[in-house]
Amino acid sequence: MSALGFTIEIFQNEYLPAGAGEVNAIVTVTSAGSTAPGPPATPGAAEIIIVDCSGSMSDPRTKMIQARQATAAAIDAIRDGVAFAVVAGTHEARQAYPDNGLMIADAATRKTAKRAVERLYPHGGTAIGQWLRLARELFETGEETLRHAILLTDGQNLHESTEELAAAIKLCEGYFSCDCRGVGTDWLVDELRTISTALLGTVDIVPDPAGLTADFEAMMTASMAKEVADVVLRVWTPQHATIRFVKQVAPAIEDLTARRTPAAPQAGDYPTGAWGTESRDYHACVDVEPGAVGQEMLAARVSLILNTTSGPQTLGQGLVRAIWTEEEVLSTRINRHVAHYAGQAELAQAIQDGLDARKAGDDDAAAAKLGRAVALAHESGNQGTANLLASVVDVIDPSTGTVRLKARIVNADEMALDTRSSKTVRVKK
Amino acid sequence: MGSPSGTCPECRTPVDGGDNFCEACGWELAVAAVSAGAAPLAACPQCRPSLISADGYCERCGRKAPAGRDHIELGLRGIAGVTDRGLRRHRNEDAMALALTHTPTGRAAVAVVCDGVSTSGHPDQASLAAANRAVHVLTAKLRAGTAGEEASTSAALAADSAVRSLAGQSANPPATTYVSGIVAPIAVTVCWIGDSRAYWLPASSPASARLLTRDDSLAEELAAAGVPAEADAIASPGGHVVTRWLGADAGTPRPHTTRFEPPGPGVLLLCSDGLWNSRPGAGDLAQLAWPRAPGDLPGAAAGLLAFALGAGGHDNITVVLIAVPPGHTGAGTSHRSTPR
Repeated sequence: MSALGFTIEIFQNEYLPAGAGEVNAIVTVTSAGSTAPGPPATPGAAEIIIVDCSGSMSDPRTKMIQARQATAAAIDAIRDGVAFAVVAGTHEARQAYPDNGLMIADAATRKTAKRAVERLYPHGGTAIGQWLRLARELFETGEETLRHAILLTDGQNLHESTEELAAAIKLCEGYFSCDCRGVGTDWLVDELRTISTALLGTVDIVPDPAGLTADFEAMMTASMAKEVADVVLRVWTPQHATIRFVKQVAPAIEDLTARRTPAAPQAGDYPTGAWGTESRDYHACVDVEPGAVGQEMLAARVSLILNTTSGPQTLGQGLVRAIWTEEEVLSTRINRHVAHYAGQAELAQAIQDGLDARKAGDDDAAAAKLGRAVALAHESGNQGTANLLASVVDVIDPSTGTVRLKARIVNADEMALDTRSSKTVRVKK
Repeated sequence: MGSPSGTCPECRTPVDGGDNFCEACGWELAVAAVSAGAAPLAACPQCRPSLISADGYCERCGRKAPAGRDHIELGLRGIAGVTDRGLRRHRNEDAMALALTHTPTGRAAVAVVCDGVSTSGHPDQASLAAANRAVHVLTAKLRAGTAGEEASTSAALAADSAVRSLAGQSANPPATTYVSGIVAPIAVTVCWIGDSRAYWLPASSPASARLLTRDDSLAEELAAAGVPAEADAIASPGGHVVTRWLGADAGTPRPHTTRFEPPGPGVLLLCSDGLWNSRPGAGDLAQLAWPRAPGDLPGAAAGLLAFALGAGGHDNITVVLIAVPPGHTGAGTSHRSTPR
């Protein structure tokens, strides 16, 4: 763990006009990863693949076949020494491999696991909460700290109540991370997003089962690159300050505001999950009591904390400052990092508002919101989101956001826009 | 603050803790107050007893604790000085040094104010080195009976050497302005290079207060060449550019000196341009200093600082007031650094 290099950078305009109290800053956290040569040392990584085996997975027949192949590919991507298991999900949860607990991956166990996956067949209903509970129980049998699951489903959570699912999510929150994938178009974006958000994972649509193998392989490879589990952002704020929000803003928007747990006097922890060699941006917005002109105040101290068995370890720290000035040249200066991510957040919100309006049958409002989104995506160079938008609206002028809703919108395109709308681009160099 | 015991900082001869000066070289060992920086505060002045974090902020209210040279007040009997970062600059590049000494004819009070040239390298070090060096040379010379003007010139040249020695191989050597004041039993002597100033503020009437120095600035040089005072070249910010300073890139220093015999009691004011930037007249400054001076010199200095901050605080501000005749006050020695 000692070979890990984390850096924190703060981007902000620290100058505020007299009487102002809102302080905004972008916090860039970069992990250089392990500096030790060879493959990353992952002391205690565990992986569970949860495969939907409900009856609907047989329609079309190729869906279950593709799901098996994808699971096999994911198993192949598990490194030697990693503990793993496969869960078959229906209206109940069943352990498909191994017979109980977790198995340590090697050539032989991977082969046996793939053979077990070959025997998965679709039958019964869908109770995702049950699947998550079993995954947690299996993780608990091991000592591993880097716990990650992949969840695949094709349908809605019909065989348990919303409350049961919520309780199961709550049980798993902070214990393992989970990437969710919906195959086809019969599943609910909001349902899977609730799980992936709470469990600090990603959510995405795989419209064609043929795409599953590549996707599973990529997810598992990304997970294998994680080296540190349970890293939190600790945010200290001055007395009488209020935190408006703390959000991850890159690579995708995740609002962490409500995820705060008290850590120390005037400080709270926000979960960030596991880290490999990567860089993420966070946006913190704090209201402080305005100070006198010329006064400098620390508006927030942002620390990156790794919780280890021997206690918390500070990996890095950044200061968000406020300095009151009468000089307008200083206080009106726009920080381009803050402005950029304010734009990306507005873009994601405009898409959600547009999709909501369309569901409510208000096509005019939908076109207006999605048009605004097109303009924002165009302006910020978010080509990925621009492409997704173009599958839902006909773009007449991207710079002004003049669009027309497509006469026929493919369901999968709308779901793809929905799941991927939180993806952001970083500030141009 | 002198050398409590050990060796003379100038010639390394052993000295006794009770000595006022070095028996070997005459170096002043007595009380000299230099704005070298205050120790960081242990507790927040706004919400005591909360602690100050290692990064210098109050752990409760988040306010930055005043530290270093941001704001320093110094006082000796009959002298008070304050130096402040102001409201715009991120650090204080001004420095001041005050001292009391004895001449063969009686008590003398001396002070030096230096304003680091912000476009040079390490201007904060330049001003401090100059002020620190000069005040020790002034007291040593005066104690030995050297006349005010000669002591002043020696001190300015010594200050110049101190600043030059900071330059190293730098392409942008440290530089500073300089003004010194000696208030001796009979006469006041002022010496300067650059645009730090000295004013005479008589107790009798603010109207007869006057500026004692003439800036080494573009504006002054133009005025001396006959350009009218209201011309753009003089009134514009460009006119403010200093034309002479102390430092390795300044050529041979030629300090100006002036001497006068005060007709009655009053105060000698030394200041950096942070005070006079907003163009107050000498009479305005006298009115700000009185009636608190000379009984409450620290209060008078604080009043002048408040005036400069109120005018925008665009630059670092340093104000030193020396009572005339020397020691003409009831205030004792103090040294403090407090928040504004």
